[in-house]
Amino acid sequence: MGNRITVTINGTAREAEVEPRLLLVHFIREVLGMTGTHIGCDTTNCGACTVLLDGRAVKSCTVFAVQADGRTVLTVEGLARDGELHPIQEAFREQHGLQCGFCTPGMMMTAYALLQRLPNPTEEQIRWGISGNLCRCTGYVNIVAAIKDAAEKLRASPARAGGKG
Amino acid sequence: MIPASFEYFSPRTVPDAVNLLVRYGQEAKLLAGGHSLVPLMKLRLAAPRYVVDLNRIAGLSYIREGDGALCIGALTRHGEIETSDLIRARYPLLADAARVISDPLVRNMGTIGGSLAHADPAGDWGAAMLAGGAEVVATGPGGPRTISIDRFFEGTFVTALRPDEILTEVRLPQAVKGQGGAYLKLERKVGDFAIAAVGVGLVLDGGTCARVGIGLCNVGPTSLRAEKAARSLIGRKPDDAAVARAAETAAAECDPADDLRGPADYKRDVVRVLTARALRLAVQRARGGA
Amino acid sequence: MKVEGTYTFAASRQKIWALLNDPGVLARVTPGVTALTPQGPDTYKATLELAVGPVKGAYDGKVSITDKTPPERMILQVEGGGKPGTIRATGELHLDEQDGRTVVRYSGDAQITGLIASVGHRLIGGVARQLADQFFKGVEKELRPR
Repeated sequence: MGNRITVTINGTAREAEVEPRLLLVHFIREVLGMTGTHIGCDTTNCGACTVLLDGRAVKSCTVFAVQADGRTVLTVEGLARDGELHPIQEAFREQHGLQCGFCTPGMMMTAYALLQRLPNPTEEQIRWGISGNLCRCTGYVNIVAAIKDAAEKLRASPARAGGKG
Repeated sequence: MIPASFEYFSPRTVPDAVNLLVRYGQEAKLLAGGHSLVPLMKLRLAAPRYVVDLNRIAGLSYIREGDGALCIGALTRHGEIETSDLIRARYPLLADAARVISDPLVRNMGTIGGSLAHADPAGDWGAAMLAGGAEVVATGPGGPRTISIDRFFEGTFVTALRPDEILTEVRLPQAVKGQGGAYLKLERKVGDFAIAAVGVGLVLDGGTCARVGIGLCNVGPTSLRAEKAARSLIGRKPDDAAVARAAETAAAECDPADDLRGPADYKRDVVRVLTARALRLAVQRARGGA
Repeated sequence: MKVEGTYTFAASRQKIWALLNDPGVLARVTPGVTALTPQGPDTYKATLELAVGPVKGAYDGKVSITDKTPPERMILQVEGGGKPGTIRATGELHLDEQDGRTVVRYSGDAQITGLIASVGHRLIGGVARQLADQFFKGVEKELRPR
């Protein structure tokens, strides 16, 4: 006996019957098969599960899938368009903003929302903005550099800003 | 990791939500931002049989000033308060508090109403509202009633809300000339609960303190008011001596526990230092600076 | 962790001692207790359902009263657990009579493990005192005529 929900994820409407207790992150990973969104803790701390829900960056491990009924979700799989990497993805690659890559999808989704709100962020604003996303590898230096670089790329080519949906 | 099963409701109006509480009583929990409830449910420390999601109710998220009051809808997210131009310009106590609650992702979901109703002694809004002299509006089957924040926190996780009531609004006195406020938090790392935090709200009139509120976070079984410390400043000039005395008094008024965030006497001293700093900052802002 | 506090009753030490040793009273006033069964001299089996806000848990435990010096002192050993965690605690109660009033001083040392210890550690002290307060308020109600 489930609840029928419709979630528009990366631009596509997806329908499913779910238990109310199904977490959004599990819905994304296991029902929809999109495993780019990661689970890094069990305590709402690490932010590896960050997705955009109606344009807001949230920890999808702490939201129920039923809460996303009728709403839009953007995950890391929705960043690239037509086979071309999003400027944020390019920047993370070029600036070596990742090592193991586990925190990276969450970092990039947070960056996506951050840069929408602050197109020309200072270093302090970036550091403050990603303070909900933990990285155990990089020491954050190159992550900050990547986001700064992404900001520059987006200001230069605003048409590349959107993801899928 | 996986919450226990529950039945989920998503009412569209406050009366519908209240009726669900009336029907299911203590077996139901309200879901606002969910960032206190869902972590507890994932650990199965909380396992309500019914969850009533408030997020589809329109008209519970707003920041309005007028008629002598600042009114904030209970479903307003911490992040919305943090970035509100009105709050930043005129209510520094709230602006300061909003930005140190957990982390930016949590602030996108967590709500001021949920935070107050959850009544975690480590919740920043509790101490800030005590400092600001707030009142909350609780809506039950009989309609709304107002509860002074001074009478709101009854115990750890226990408030004056009845089981069939929903906190729908938070109100503060409208900012007046000579008003200042500040909220300072010491935390081990960004996103953590406070080792201790202090909120101050005051109004200066002709150089002396006409109104003072001091709220303390995570140094007692509930959010605390440093009543004696606040009273010691009424009618006085907030000079160094008066501020130091109030800070010492506030430290004596709190009741911290030894835990992983530090021993009790350390936390007491953090309260003393933060109270002094918050008072000085609030006074500076009241005089038109900072 | 250590928990301590005091509670003052407007009654004689004899009266309070009697109440604290009455299993019927304990079954009525212990917060959350759903069953309290004597298991032998000064030993009880207890089941509790404690709710602290949204956190509800069911616990099974054993309480033994050792070292009784009526009417002034007793030591309690508590052992129990449930899904949220386990507890082993030793508590000492001192009863002092002054002008017809009894001051009960309690001090306890508890080892708590499990989920409530790791996740709820910062709250345990406050909650323990809250529960102790509830317990003694319950004892106080027993003083009034029914």
